[in-house]
Amino acid sequence: MEAFSLLGQGMLVALQPMNLLFALVGVFLGTAVGVLPGIGPALTVALLLPVTYKLDPAGSLIMFAGIYYGGMYGGSTTAILINTPGESASMATALEGNKMAKAGRGGPALATAAIGSFVAGTVATLGLTFLAPWLVEIAVKFGPEDYFALMCVAFITVSATFGDSPIRGLTSLFIGLTLGLVGIDKLTGQARLAFGVPELLDGVEVTTLAVGLFAIGEALYVASRRHHTEEKLEAIRGSLWMTRQDWKRSWAPWLRGTLFGFPIGALPAGGAEIPTFLSYSTERRLCKYPEEFGKGAIEGVAGPEAANNASAAGTLVPLLTLGLPTSATAAMMLAGFQQYGLNPGPLLFAEKPDLVWGLIASLFIANTMLLLLNLPLVGLWVKLLSIPQPWLYAGILVFATMGTIAAKPSVIELSMLAVFGVMGFMMRRFDFPIAPVVVGLILGPVAEVQLRRAMQISLGDPMVLLESPISATLLGVALIALVAPFVLRGLGRFKASGD
Amino acid sequence: MRSLTQSLFVTALFAAALTTGLASPAAAQMELKIMAPAAPGGGWDQTARSMQQALNAEKLVKSSQVINVAGAGGAVGLAQFINGAKGDGNQIMVNGFVMVGALLLNKSPVTLDQVTPIARLTEEIEIVVVPANSPIKNAKDLAAALKENVARVTWAGGSAGGVDQITAALFAQAVGADASKVNYVAFSGGGESLAAILGGKVTAGISGWSEYEGQVKAGKLRAIGVTSEQRIPGVDIPTFKEQGVDLVIANWRSVMAPPGISAEQKKNLIELMDKLTKSAAWKEQLKQKGWDDAYISGDAFGAFLKKEIARVNDVLKSVGLVKS
Amino acid sequence: METRRADPAGIAFAIGLFALAGVIWWDLRSLQGATTYGIGPQAMPMVVTAGLVLLAIGNLVSALRGELPERESTDPRAVLLILGGFVALIALIGLGGGFILATAILFTTTSAAFGRKAIVKDFAIGFVLAVIIFLIFDKLLTLSLPAGPLERLL
Repeated sequence: MEAFSLLGQGMLVALQPMNLLFALVGVFLGTAVGVLPGIGPALTVALLLPVTYKLDPAGSLIMFAGIYYGGMYGGSTTAILINTPGESASMATALEGNKMAKAGRGGPALATAAIGSFVAGTVATLGLTFLAPWLVEIAVKFGPEDYFALMCVAFITVSATFGDSPIRGLTSLFIGLTLGLVGIDKLTGQARLAFGVPELLDGVEVTTLAVGLFAIGEALYVASRRHHTEEKLEAIRGSLWMTRQDWKRSWAPWLRGTLFGFPIGALPAGGAEIPTFLSYSTERRLCKYPEEFGKGAIEGVAGPEAANNASAAGTLVPLLTLGLPTSATAAMMLAGFQQYGLNPGPLLFAEKPDLVWGLIASLFIANTMLLLLNLPLVGLWVKLLSIPQPWLYAGILVFATMGTIAAKPSVIELSMLAVFGVMGFMMRRFDFPIAPVVVGLILGPVAEVQLRRAMQISLGDPMVLLESPISATLLGVALIALVAPFVLRGLGRFKASGD
Repeated sequence: MRSLTQSLFVTALFAAALTTGLASPAAAQMELKIMAPAAPGGGWDQTARSMQQALNAEKLVKSSQVINVAGAGGAVGLAQFINGAKGDGNQIMVNGFVMVGALLLNKSPVTLDQVTPIARLTEEIEIVVVPANSPIKNAKDLAAALKENVARVTWAGGSAGGVDQITAALFAQAVGADASKVNYVAFSGGGESLAAILGGKVTAGISGWSEYEGQVKAGKLRAIGVTSEQRIPGVDIPTFKEQGVDLVIANWRSVMAPPGISAEQKKNLIELMDKLTKSAAWKEQLKQKGWDDAYISGDAFGAFLKKEIARVNDVLKSVGLVKS
Repeated sequence: METRRADPAGIAFAIGLFALAGVIWWDLRSLQGATTYGIGPQAMPMVVTAGLVLLAIGNLVSALRGELPERESTDPRAVLLILGGFVALIALIGLGGGFILATAILFTTTSAAFGRKAIVKDFAIGFVLAVIIFLIFDKLLTLSLPAGPLERLL
């Protein structure tokens, strides 16, 4: 196996003590910047890229990989600890992760996220090593109609986040869809719901909405009802580490999450959000303790976290084999690679095998380093929760606004953040689920644009949706997922009445 | 709180240790602020940061700082630049061709007439490609297909109203097809459109040369033509001009100064750009990023800008994106 | 459990949804059907409007039936304090007061909303925190944070 020997050579370079130190520093810096809500991996890499300029190519590549993985993981830490997803892909993590943290199980939640990221990152990097050329052939076959069908599947799974009232869940979803309309229409360049405000032309930023609804809304809600129940946060209840039971419940979600994340991440317009939602709803359905979902089920952290990390490795498939940056983060990585004389594209593997394998080895090393750095830090992170409540929430709001101030320091953006905060507060008070709003904002525009592209290419013939085998299959899956619960319920009733 | 402060402090130490090597002691007197009217990572931001690096490395200014003001294809940044930097000779803004269309499309209240043009720095040639197995072999075939049924020829490219769509419309116009009927499918960025072309979903694709370079060299895409006056050196792709299609266009990036600066300040900035573009550090940046040097400054650039604005305005009207 | 009756908050909410649908409808009339092929930019807003109208009716019915979950009383003072902090933050940044002062004020009002009375001490903590953040991100990582008089001294 030629791949193995090349990978081995790359590993030897990456394992030199100096390079290990660079990996450690990279992971550390990446995590430190990545924990800021609103500063996702893309911005983290953009900010820290200059730090790597002065190193030799091998060293800077390794530090770069470290920054990247650190930035990814930083977003999940805040999602779990303070219910503030640092980027859209860690939203699903926040749903169960924060509930766990509030119940004193922040330690196991962070641990399953870290180990899950490691497992997923490793498996997905292996996939990248051996499957990339083959996978990319399939990935480019995905046309607009196929993406639209994939969105349909994703929309069905959203219902997992609805809570107990479908009408309130749908209301939340449609509010999200409304927000998704704001801004320039991608296909005709016309402004919708922008009311002549230039800042609105780019649409509603997902992180602004998520930080507003989750972090600020939560702070307002907790403050407003402090006189009822002094919310007692216990930083640690039970074990700080994962128990045998936690392991048993985590390993399968890790692997399933990877299976969602890697292939969808490899699709040029796949993204990281959809696999995390798919993973969340799958775990919710398969979980042996469904009553725990919504109250802090470890599966709901393990799966989406793995999916998130695996999709990140997945985006490297089109990036390295086609030179196709499919996300903001990938675009930043492309800029980084060019810095090291690495020009991604179909000829990369043939022309510069040493650098490619060096990069892949770096990813392995950085991933391991992330685990080594973060597991000991779990104790420290969890202790953040024992900060007295007033300071804890004040600190959360400072960090939540800081991300927005840094990324888009405009009065309009900050006002939107505050308005979304109030919205999050009202929705909590009237028991509307929060997650569907963000899901609507993410999926709505993508589904619309892909459908319209498909129709434009087919000159308005809707049959393309059924003529493409991929699209037809996915639409079938969506239909089954939609109908199955009713049928199963019907069968259950039938059985019950037959007894 | 202590643990958090501590960890932040350690970060600071690490970062300090790493960045001290980068900052060079300043020589010249200017404290330059460079606005990139886009988020970090895009073309304008990279141009601004490359300028910053070269300026610092060559010690051409005392200090330089990049400010990102993202939004609406640059319109938000432009508005802030016009209102906030008026008369300030120590501020410049990076922009380019794409801003011209974006301002028209967004019905922006501020325009490029309000700023002081300084210099055009770089440009990128546009290229039209088709899938490798397409029956279309050259510009003539593509023109024939367009004239037979303009709707059936689907084009994939970047955002609506950007340089790619304008190129498609100009191509149709040049070969005598109805530009208002061009079936242009906008994708977000060259990456996504590339997948649609490789997958054979569309007839042709348009993007900057560097985006498709790897695929063309690997034989996965067939190049139909480039939009430059002369062939790209060392690349065996015919221009449209030599194939009888009158289409010359490039995605340029430039530097603007605020309104209301004195002639002295303008001269200083132009001289700074002269020095920058001649420097080895800047040439190294161009090579690394794969940008073509397209330096013109002062009045020559001002005249060029006027012509480009008029041309974009005409095209956007003819395709119906801008109401006349 | 008391007898169920119409819930004014729920009715107001349903009216809000109707209004939202109206706004989208009003906005969508200004769009041109510029697309020559396929589906135009108006289609999605129409779908959303229709969905919102149906959901508004659904929410109205459930509000009239009094089906909304029971709510506990809230402390408006706390909410207003935090929002006041936000207004101050936005105003300070908009008017060029700088990041540090704005952040310190938000920190103080939030901790006051959570029952702290030591305003001076909290302001000092928020101030130090903001200075540290500013130094790390603005000075070391060259991420430009809004600068006011204080920031220029650093």
